[in-house]
Amino acid sequence: MITFDNVTKRYPDSHEALTGVSFTIEQGEMVYVTGHSGAGKSTLLKLMAAIERPTSGTVLINNQNVSKLKEATLPYVRRKFGLIFQDHKLLYDRNCYHNVALPLAINDITGAEAGKRIRAALDKVGLLDKEKAMPITLSGGEQQRLAIARAVVSRPSILIADEPTGNLDRNYAADILQLFNAFQQVGVTVIIATHDALGNANQQNKVLHLNQGKLANTEAVT
Amino acid sequence: MNAWLTQHAQALGLVLRRFKTNKLSTLLICLAIGVTLALPSILYAVLDSVNGLANNVKSESQISVFLALNHDEDAIASIKTALEKNTAIKNFKFVSKDDALSQLQAADANNDMLNSLEKNPLPDAFFIEPSKLDAESIESLKKDLSRMNGVEEVIVDGAWIKRLNYLLLLGKKAMLIIASLLAFALATVIGNTIRMQIVTQQAEIELSRLIGATKSFIRRPFLYAGALYGLIGGLFALIITCVVIMLFNQSLTPLATEYQTNFSLKLPNLFTWGATCFLALAVGLASAYLAMSKSLFKSIH
Repeated sequence: MITFDNVTKRYPDSHEALTGVSFTIEQGEMVYVTGHSGAGKSTLLKLMAAIERPTSGTVLINNQNVSKLKEATLPYVRRKFGLIFQDHKLLYDRNCYHNVALPLAINDITGAEAGKRIRAALDKVGLLDKEKAMPITLSGGEQQRLAIARAVVSRPSILIADEPTGNLDRNYAADILQLFNAFQQVGVTVIIATHDALGNANQQNKVLHLNQGKLANTEAVT
Repeated sequence: MNAWLTQHAQALGLVLRRFKTNKLSTLLICLAIGVTLALPSILYAVLDSVNGLANNVKSESQISVFLALNHDEDAIASIKTALEKNTAIKNFKFVSKDDALSQLQAADANNDMLNSLEKNPLPDAFFIEPSKLDAESIESLKKDLSRMNGVEEVIVDGAWIKRLNYLLLLGKKAMLIIASLLAFALATVIGNTIRMQIVTQQAEIELSRLIGATKSFIRRPFLYAGALYGLIGGLFALIITCVVIMLFNQSLTPLATEYQTNFSLKLPNLFTWGATCFLALAVGLASAYLAMSKSLFKSIH
């Protein structure tokens, strides 16, 4: 599903964010990307989601080589992913419903079909009654869940979350992780970047541990 | 086709919603565009109407043919026949020198100088109304006339019309220059407005790019906004033009009556409405496109 082969990413300011990273993620896996801040977690996620291209090496997404794709086809690759950002990136000029509507609009889904899907996504994260609320009025945990609803509304096969529990207290964090587990159980590949300990990773999950841009080990946590 | 329609309906809907939430600023921008466009539009209406007036006046233009004082007796008869045959002449009138003198005396009865004349100094004359009014045919007619036996002088009473036409030409040029300069101003106004909106929507644009929106998906609403600003501004300009012309006409009517004409400025016709709206829309669309290519995608990558 996602294959990295000897991937290096160097930014114009010349520091190497990732060096020689290789791994494979299969359909339906739950993968944690760990490491200190600055270890290259966000860069790894951006490469996976076809937001950045590697400086060298190959990134294969569904057997498509991202570095060889034309600029104009990248948006269509990105639509396969549901992205949850560290800073949520909610739009504060519109209510919850319209925040979740954006990915559908990008996929040309509007009208009644869109309404059905938006409500289903909001229901899944427990925000159905906040449909008309503005994001600014939501708590931190609710905002995070709204971001998840937006990520899953277009039914992506891969969910990528950057520090989804970073700013939340323990109870909220557990809620969120449970949500991710639920998605994995219905066959969605879930990739989560986190800097903290894996207290909640109570299943057989793959861990990609990054240290200064290098992959330290790929292991299953028990 | 269906997807294409959906995309465009979606973009248009989004723009209209944004207009609705920012009613006042949208109205002000459109008014600014309308006022800018009204200036050349009013100028055009005035020139167009004066041009019509000039065409009217032309038909009254005359050619005066004065015969030599010492022409022989047959000359008048032979000129008459020649004029009757000439197809370039609509009609003509002969005024003999005696008639001319008595007309002059009647107009100014107390003029001692006229009475003291021993001999009639006035020539016999023909006053001709040509059938074709363009400069070329009048010129060739004049040449023909002056070659005739016994003709002393041919005068075309139309020099001032020539001057008026030159003035009108100058006016049209001025209008075109003003219109192009203002179109540039218009492009700047719309371009800046669009650029401001891009800055306001930066978060949405960035997010949309990240989750797979194509460039055209992001561009589309801004292009619609530019085109709509132009179109609504154009309509405002036409409304302003109509109001101004009606106000002018209120004062023109009594003046025209004094001159015994029914001259009035013409309201924009259907073609003018269409052309103005189309041009304004095109300028809006083009300036939105330019504004985006410069500022929209720089910040994303």
